[in-house]
Amino acid sequence: MVRETQTNTNNYLIKQLPTATVFLNNKLKVTHVSDKFVDDFGLVNDTIIGKRIDALFNTMSEDCINDFKDNLKGKKSHTRCAHFITKDNQEKRIEWTNVPWYDENENIIGVIAQTEDITKKVLNQLKLEKLESLLTGKSEIAKIGTWEYDLEKDSLHWCDTTKAIHEVPEDFVPNIDTAIEFYKNGFSRNTVSMSFNNALNNKTPWSEKLQIITATGKEKWVIASGKPIFNNDKMVGLLGTFQDINDSVLSQIKIKESEHLLKTLIDNLPIGVYIKDVESRKILVNKAECDFARVDDPKKLLGKNDFQIYDKKTAQAFRDEDLEVIQTLTPILGKETTCKAKNGSMASILTYKLPLLNAKNEIEGIIGMSLDITETRKTQKELKEKERNFKSIFNSSYQMAGILDVNGTLIEINDSALDIIKTKADEVIGKKFWETPWWPNDDNFKKSIKKDLKIVSKGTTIRKELTVLDQSQNKIPVDFSVKPIYNDHNQVVSLLAEGRVITDMVIAREKIKESEMKFRTLYELSPVSFVLYDFNTNKIIDFNTAFKNTFGYDEQNLSEITFWDLFNNRNTNYKTQAYNQLTTKGTFGPFAEKLIHKEGAEHTVIVNKSLIVNKKGEKLVWTIIQDITESEKKEQQIREERHLLKTVIDNLPLNVYIKDEQLRKILVNKAECDYLNVKSADEIIGKNDFELYGKKMGQISQEEDLQVLNSLKPLLGFEKSHKTKKGKTTTFLTSKIPLIGENGRAYGLMGINLDISELKQKEEELRNLINVTSLQNKKLLNFAHIVSHNLRSHSANFSMLLEFLVNEKNEYEKQELTNMLVGASDNLLETLENLNEVLAIGANPNTSKEPINLNRKISKIQQSLSVTLKNNNVEILNTIPDDVSINAVPAYAESILMNLITNAVKYKDPERDPRIVLSSAKKGKYTVLSIADNGLGIDLNKYGDKLFGLYKTFHEHPEAKGFGLYMSKNQIEAMNGKITVSSKVGVGTTFNIYFNE
Amino acid sequence: MSKINSIFIVDDDPITVFGIRKMLDTAIEYNTLSTHVNGKLAIDDIKAKLDKGEPVPEVIFLDINMPIMDGWQFLEDFTDLPIEEKIIINIVTSSIDPIDYENCEKYKNKSHHVIRFNNKPITRARIIEITQPIEQNT
Repeated sequence: MVRETQTNTNNYLIKQLPTATVFLNNKLKVTHVSDKFVDDFGLVNDTIIGKRIDALFNTMSEDCINDFKDNLKGKKSHTRCAHFITKDNQEKRIEWTNVPWYDENENIIGVIAQTEDITKKVLNQLKLEKLESLLTGKSEIAKIGTWEYDLEKDSLHWCDTTKAIHEVPEDFVPNIDTAIEFYKNGFSRNTVSMSFNNALNNKTPWSEKLQIITATGKEKWVIASGKPIFNNDKMVGLLGTFQDINDSVLSQIKIKESEHLLKTLIDNLPIGVYIKDVESRKILVNKAECDFARVDDPKKLLGKNDFQIYDKKTAQAFRDEDLEVIQTLTPILGKETTCKAKNGSMASILTYKLPLLNAKNEIEGIIGMSLDITETRKTQKELKEKERNFKSIFNSSYQMAGILDVNGTLIEINDSALDIIKTKADEVIGKKFWETPWWPNDDNFKKSIKKDLKIVSKGTTIRKELTVLDQSQNKIPVDFSVKPIYNDHNQVVSLLAEGRVITDMVIAREKIKESEMKFRTLYELSPVSFVLYDFNTNKIIDFNTAFKNTFGYDEQNLSEITFWDLFNNRNTNYKTQAYNQLTTKGTFGPFAEKLIHKEGAEHTVIVNKSLIVNKKGEKLVWTIIQDITESEKKEQQIREERHLLKTVIDNLPLNVYIKDEQLRKILVNKAECDYLNVKSADEIIGKNDFELYGKKMGQISQEEDLQVLNSLKPLLGFEKSHKTKKGKTTTFLTSKIPLIGENGRAYGLMGINLDISELKQKEEELRNLINVTSLQNKKLLNFAHIVSHNLRSHSANFSMLLEFLVNEKNEYEKQELTNMLVGASDNLLETLENLNEVLAIGANPNTSKEPINLNRKISKIQQSLSVTLKNNNVEILNTIPDDVSINAVPAYAESILMNLITNAVKYKDPERDPRIVLSSAKKGKYTVLSIADNGLGIDLNKYGDKLFGLYKTFHEHPEAKGFGLYMSKNQIEAMNGKITVSSKVGVGTTFNIYFNE
Repeated sequence: MSKINSIFIVDDDPITVFGIRKMLDTAIEYNTLSTHVNGKLAIDDIKAKLDKGEPVPEVIFLDINMPIMDGWQFLEDFTDLPIEEKIIINIVTSSIDPIDYENCEKYKNKSHHVIRFNNKPITRARIIEITQPIEQNT
């Protein structure tokens, strides 16, 4: 507080400080301030003392405050430039320099800040910079140079740009005279001299657009200006600018020129051109538009809308179009409208209206163009009318007609012609006539048409009959003509081609030709003779070749005789009769007569006559003479041949028949009759196979027949069994051959059957024999192998044992080997015995076969086996009736029964007592004996094929030899019987023995 | 000649068995020799050995015609057994039936074992030859 009092005493001093200074205490509150500070910041009316420094301004940056705070800590801040907004919102740029404020004890008690308002300084500097850059930029772009004239020194200075404009080197030093010399002689130089003197004498500035000639001789437009400069009211010189405006002047001139050109062009266009604003007021019109609106001066149209120019209806139509363009921004291009012109007539105009857009793409108006096509339309209309008239004549004609140019290109064609090929004019017009679809695609033909057209184009009409093609390529005959068409100068300008369809005529003509030809052919080629003679004079007028050939007469002979001379006048009755009948009925005949050949021979003929009257009214007689001498002979011959053929066929050892299309027999030979057991062929003729053989055979036969008839291919030599109704079966070698008519279709078939029944039977027997033989052969081979194997087996053992024996020294071993040899020898003997037994079976099996009562045989065997059966507790159940007997070799039957019963016991199931069931049945020609046991059973899947094999054993039974079943099977087969077996392991086995009777 | 561990004779003819055994005894060194009178007994023995992990016979003399199970049936079963070693199987038969030759060829082709067809009588020299062990790794 003491300090403050002291400070107050210093206030006056501080107030007068020349720099703006402010003293702040350590709370940054103002304690002293200089007047300059108050002035600088416009704080005159404010309370300053005691306020915090930042409260004096609208804004004060945080950085400034921090600076002050740093000062309070003893730091001396740098000068800083800061930006303030004063209370009255003025932007101020202040340069601050702050220092800490020390007391005498070097304590910091506040901050002393000095400020300098640099706002103006900064602004000036900125402005200057801006100006400078602006100036250089401008002078470069606008090519503005400067010049200075020092009056005192009489020296002229050009800047670089000025020198460049004058196209002088940079070191060029100009003076007033040389400078003026650059101006173009005449107006430019005079003007500049005058202006220069004026400026010196009257102190008046100038600025003129003038032309200079540069150092390189170029003419340039420049703006030269000058103004006097003063120093303390005394003129010291001149300062001026020099601007190259050559390009802009030139372009301005060019624009002007092209504007003029455009204007002239537009004005001279035959199209009305105008521009309208959006209110449809015309703002530009050309001459044509003025003409259309019938005004002599464009000014009479400008600013006016169509309502002020045309009648209401027309104007409204125009306005509607304008609005359409303005609203949609879519141009109207080439719209044809009619409107009422100023003279009251109706005008056709072709209108174009385009939206007129400004740079911002906004609609500003319309560019319009209208072409008056009234005249064009009128002529077009007239032409069309003429054309229509022509066309209707051209088209209404039934004739085909076309117009060609002289080169043969089709330029017009009528509907009749188009109708033929069902096409449209567009598709043929423009084509060369010979390439059009009416003509056949034939190069020679095309060439001939081309040639014809060339002839016509030279002025000659051609006419010929041709055929054209319709759309289905049918040929249509036409009476075709091409005529030249001349212009006023008698030149051929086009060709008129016409075609009249003459189908009917051609057909009629063809028919006549045809019948004429038919008649001619008939007349000339017919084997029948024709003679034409005069009814009254009987003179022969004409005859055909057949007559000539048949009867030997020629033209010369006949000119001398009458018709009746041919008959030697022998039958006058005939002559009179003919004359009368011809007179009354106009025809005569048929009548048989004898005609005399030139050489004298008589021919039997049949004569027909008819009376005709020719164009001249002469009565003539047509006579048809048929020579039947030859045909009579031929008929006889055929009859004989037929008889011969029939005899041959009837005596063939083959059944021969012919069937018609309905498969009925129409011809059969004797063998066929015999086969069908009938006396006469009539009983068979007309009947089909269903009737002859019954339904089943008929069906088979019909299928074959139809196959032959439909395929037209014969079935040859196939075998067929045929059963007659009576059940007799015959094997035939059959062939069926189609009878093919001239139309290529079968009208029937011929069948040939060869009875080969006997042959078949023989064949069957032979086959059986072969089977038996091959079976035997197989058996023999099998046996041979068995023999060889078994004997080899023993002999191998012998050979081995003997070798051992020879080499053995040990007496005991020798004895052993000898024993073995004895055993082997026994085995061999047994085998040989077995084989003997087997061979014995094959030797003569059938001789000793006799009837045997089965039960008696069985009980005999039961007796002989009684001990075994008893020991094994065997139960035998015999269901065989006592009267059953078999036809067998007794020894074999016994052996078989013994063997099978023994087996049933031998291979019994150890778990149960054996039970054997014997039964018999009759199966065809066999008596079947079944022996069923409840033994071990055998897996037939595994051993089935070996069960009856020699030395095949299946159980580890010491007495199993593999010989019994082999023997039994052989014995049974030797008696023409067979044996079958069924078995199930653990259940039992059943053998069925078939004894053949 | 290396010693053979185990030999089988499968034949129902005691004389043949005697003969083969006698010739082997004087010519070949072996550890064991077993005899079976049919294929069934032989194959059952081999299967049992396989189950127990015992070695199977290296050489087998096999007859064709035997009850219960003949030589072919034995071969059929044997070739299906999981035996990796090449076993020598010597068929010894008196058969000269061509079908038997064909059968032998058939088994030869479908198994990796060495199968030979030998006709009786068989000599001592032949016995030695056909008992030679063969290279196992080929």
